[in-house]
Amino acid sequence: MEEIGLTIDGLDIVAEKGNNILEVALKNNIYIPHLCYYPGLKPSGACRLCVVEVGGELMPSCLVPVVPRMVVTTNTPQVERARRAIVELLIADHHYDCRHCQASGHCELQRIMARLHISVKQMRPLRWARKEIPQDTSHPLFDYDPGRCVLCSICVKTCERVSSGTINFVGRGYGTKLGFFGDKSRCESCRGCVESCPVGALVPKSTLPPSTEPSVTTGL
Amino acid sequence: MFVKQRTISVCQGTGCISGGAEQVYSFLDAGIDKLHLRDSVYLKRSGCHGFCQRGPLVTVEPEGIFYSKVTPEDVPAIFQSLLAEGKPVERLFYRDPATSRPIAHYRDIPFYSKQQRTVLRNCGNIDPERIDDYLATGGYQALHRALFEMPSERIIDEVKRSGLRGLGGAGFPTGQKWEACRQAAGAPKYVICNGDEGDPGAFQDRSVMEGDPHSVLEGMIIAAFAIGAQRGFVYVRAEYPLAVKRLKIAIAQAKERGFLGQDILGSGFGFDIEVFQGAGAFVCGESTALVLSIEGRRGMPKPLPRPRTTEVGLWGKPTLLNNVKTFANIPLVISRGSAWFASRGTGKSKGTAIFSLTGKIANSGLIEVPMGVKLREIIFDIGGGVPNGKAFKAVQTGGPSGGCLPATLLDMPVDFDSLVAAGSMMGSGGMVVMDEDTCMVDVARYFLDFTCRESCGQCIPCRVGTKQMFDILDDITRGQGRPEDIDLLLEFGEVVARTSLCGLGQSAPNPVLTTIRYFRDEYEAHIYKKRCPAGVCPELIAKVGAD
Repeated sequence: MEEIGLTIDGLDIVAEKGNNILEVALKNNIYIPHLCYYPGLKPSGACRLCVVEVGGELMPSCLVPVVPRMVVTTNTPQVERARRAIVELLIADHHYDCRHCQASGHCELQRIMARLHISVKQMRPLRWARKEIPQDTSHPLFDYDPGRCVLCSICVKTCERVSSGTINFVGRGYGTKLGFFGDKSRCESCRGCVESCPVGALVPKSTLPPSTEPSVTTGL
Repeated sequence: MFVKQRTISVCQGTGCISGGAEQVYSFLDAGIDKLHLRDSVYLKRSGCHGFCQRGPLVTVEPEGIFYSKVTPEDVPAIFQSLLAEGKPVERLFYRDPATSRPIAHYRDIPFYSKQQRTVLRNCGNIDPERIDDYLATGGYQALHRALFEMPSERIIDEVKRSGLRGLGGAGFPTGQKWEACRQAAGAPKYVICNGDEGDPGAFQDRSVMEGDPHSVLEGMIIAAFAIGAQRGFVYVRAEYPLAVKRLKIAIAQAKERGFLGQDILGSGFGFDIEVFQGAGAFVCGESTALVLSIEGRRGMPKPLPRPRTTEVGLWGKPTLLNNVKTFANIPLVISRGSAWFASRGTGKSKGTAIFSLTGKIANSGLIEVPMGVKLREIIFDIGGGVPNGKAFKAVQTGGPSGGCLPATLLDMPVDFDSLVAAGSMMGSGGMVVMDEDTCMVDVARYFLDFTCRESCGQCIPCRVGTKQMFDILDDITRGQGRPEDIDLLLEFGEVVARTSLCGLGQSAPNPVLTTIRYFRDEYEAHIYKKRCPAGVCPELIAKVGAD
């Protein structure tokens, strides 16, 4: 194992060669917001929230390996401006109803908003998503809410490790969502996708309440 | 019936076919049989002549007579003109829009005389389905030269010295790409021709593939020899059935003659080309997405930093990917030499550029001009200006990701770098002209609608950002714009451009940013006065009527 030295936000840091900036920063208690990075999975660089500044350029920190004497800044005005804009875009597009969301309290998007001090009330006046996209309840184990999905692809990659891909992106452009392939699914019921979902897009199927509830419980 | 030896060619480009060129051809063909003219008249189909506005087009050689808007009813008159004392059919001549003077020869028509057709030299002259026509114009001689007279280093050196830059839009130096691919470790290597032309209003790649498919194949074979590849693909959109058909015919004929396959021309070098049909996703024109698409996976660009496609491409192997027009230029570079090639164009942009000229323009069609020509020359001299006495307002270059340039920039030279400096780009060569009746907010809305549908969907700035910008623009065109909207568009447009994962998202805000930069007053009229100055946005016209 080779160790190298670099600077993140002015702090001298020793890191393992080959690790990416995001991993190194998190290990050293420097917070960089991220949605699509998941420990142990190949980074996809899709959420663009983990951008940092290296040599004046914005770079996705999950994809850039650390090199000796690298100077990384995670909080320049241009980085903060980009992050804030991306989070605001995401919120405006989100099925924003935390009270009825199962993920509330352990949701990565909520955590990022708190960390970056972004609140819906103080957001810039963006247009909110106009159409409510219906839930996909076709899967026997879980329900999928495309309005809450951030398309981080963590579930896709988690699934790929278990059974060769029973979840993937379908559609294109703004209409992209997850598809589950119905009867053709090779799902192994591991629920890894639900476990790893950073937001409330994939949730376990709610157990049905009994149709008749006995009003009196009698013991023998 | 005695007539002189003539060649009649009927344009069989997609534009002319949709105008009835097939029928004109079959009437001419039947007439030749009926009049027993087989010995003296050679009737052929040709690729796109470029002057699509006036189609269907028929030319008569050797005189170089140019007939436009030909219908089957005109065929008898054309036969009469072939008689010894016959005169050309004047009513089918192209008329100069300014003077109404009929022009008989295509070389005298400003649309052609101001162009420099080198890549398009064969388009419209040869029958794209007959390899002999291509051979008669000197076809495959560059390949012969490359195989037997030039070591591969010299081929690459020649391409480098020519200054040829990738004509797919980014303008990356072609020779440098070839060298990188040649030096990349790994085998086998692949050559891919990018014919996934998805820009609305662009048809230049299609026309080259349809009109001169062999020049593309020849360029690919030379490239394969230079970098050491054995297998190649032409990636064509499935929406281009005629291009697919003609490429397949060309590949079969080239194989038959020994220009493709094993042991090409006895040189010991072998190379094969397949046509791969894309399913019509705009984003698959991006190199990494295109490669994934051929591999049978979802076409989503891979994020930077990553190894270049020249090192890790198709199935993880070094892959050379160039645009249709770049490959079509290669036989020219090899046969005429890099010095000739570099003698045209500007300091950093050599050779010619091919544009699909469309929109509010008198002569729409396919044109080829030297790099560095002024926008004014393209639009007014070749294009014949804006029809119906309307005023020119803007020209959009570079497809949905390009910018809209106003009249004040008409004297700007057209090359890779000047266009980028003005907020637009060369793109793959679409050029849409707009007149005074065009609403610039509506134009921006249209292009954002396109990009937000065609985004691959993986990164947030592009997927959600383009949708947000579309929603704001949509509101503005409906009279629901708010005072802060222009700033929002500028702010979020810049973030989308700076943080998106691939070129699609990075350039998607261009139409919005340039229309705000050059036509801000129109945005303000929509937002503050609830008025559409061009009279396009229906909700805002209704408002004026109600007042």
